[in-house]
Amino acid sequence: MLPYLIIAVLIVLAVVIVARLVRPRQDPVDSFRRQIDALSPEARRPTIDQVRDAAEESGETEEDES
Amino acid sequence: MARDLAIDLGTANTLVYMKGRGIVLNEPSVIALNRQTGEVLATGREAWQMIGRTPGYIVAVRPLRGGAITDFEITERMIRLLLQRVGVSRFTRPKVVICVPSAITEVERRAVTDAARRAGAAEASLIEQPMAAAIGADLPIDEPVGNMVIDIGGGTSETAVISLGGIVSLEAVRVGSFDIDAAIQNHVRREHGIAIGERTAEEIKVAIGSADPTVDENQAEVRGRDLMTGLPKTVVLTPDEVRSAIEDVVSSIVASVIRCLSKAPPELSQDFLVRGMYLVGGGGLLRGLAERIERETEVPVRMSNVPLEAVVLGAGHVIEHYEALKGMFMGARR
Repeated sequence: MLPYLIIAVLIVLAVVIVARLVRPRQDPVDSFRRQIDALSPEARRPTIDQVRDAAEESGETEEDES
Repeated sequence: MARDLAIDLGTANTLVYMKGRGIVLNEPSVIALNRQTGEVLATGREAWQMIGRTPGYIVAVRPLRGGAITDFEITERMIRLLLQRVGVSRFTRPKVVICVPSAITEVERRAVTDAARRAGAAEASLIEQPMAAAIGADLPIDEPVGNMVIDIGGGTSETAVISLGGIVSLEAVRVGSFDIDAAIQNHVRREHGIAIGERTAEEIKVAIGSADPTVDENQAEVRGRDLMTGLPKTVVLTPDEVRSAIEDVVSSIVASVIRCLSKAPPELSQDFLVRGMYLVGGGGLLRGLAERIERETEVPVRMSNVPLEAVVLGAGHVIEHYEALKGMFMGARR
């Protein structure tokens, strides 16, 4: 039983090592492009609008309460 | 599954942004503890109201100074309570992006990430405050142009030149608006012989403090304890004397801005004359500070539309686009 177990562990280890070696490296140009795109004003608009809307909403609520 | 979070763990205030929801918490970075049992009695605004007004067995403390953790255990407890308040439990561990001053040491960085992980974060990444502030202030940092941001917080002041999504030059000093409060406290003690608390000093700064002479200046009545008699006493402070009391702190902030400008590449320097510099952070709200920096650098200074929220907004944007922007985390660019 034990030899089979050792063989199974070795096979799993080999698969993991091979998978790591053949894993495609992230293209630095593509990664830089994606970062710059994510920083564009268009990409940032939803985050900023979301917070502005929430602030306006809470401002209106406060006015109603007063 | 917990929603991922962005935290602006400031010396003065802590803000939390939740992915898809926006800013869900904005409270002073203060915790009140029972000195004898070590139990947490209050956090945030409630604890802030206790500063300087507690009986002997309660202590209300700010666990961060100069943007760095001074008491690891208390900070961890404060973060844990904050995370609980925004719905993080033992079974829902979110990814967390935390904004920290760029000048913190490797040890201080590890203290922040360890505190966040122990408090319930599955993954804790750090981002420099000026970078987050530039994103949150909506500056065009995706373009190859010079964007300059000055972030004046409670314990640190940082100036950065940012272009194409990266920091080009940076200057940070561990001086902030708490040092202005301390300078006012010292002045009142030395010149008027009365002791005032941290909160009173802050109120004086807000009421009559300024970095440069401004129009419609008023005097302020200050109440404290006479150091000689021990009795309550009232004195009148003028804007001029407050200005001279805080001059050292203000000059050191302005000097760091000038150093950052002088380190910037000439191609980007010319952009500042057209685009100006952007002021963010609570310390930037000091009256006359923008005018003072503008006068000394001869570069236009503009106030951000969201000076207090810019940093957490920027970190919030990073958490919204985590995969695309994870290369901006501290340590990821090495």
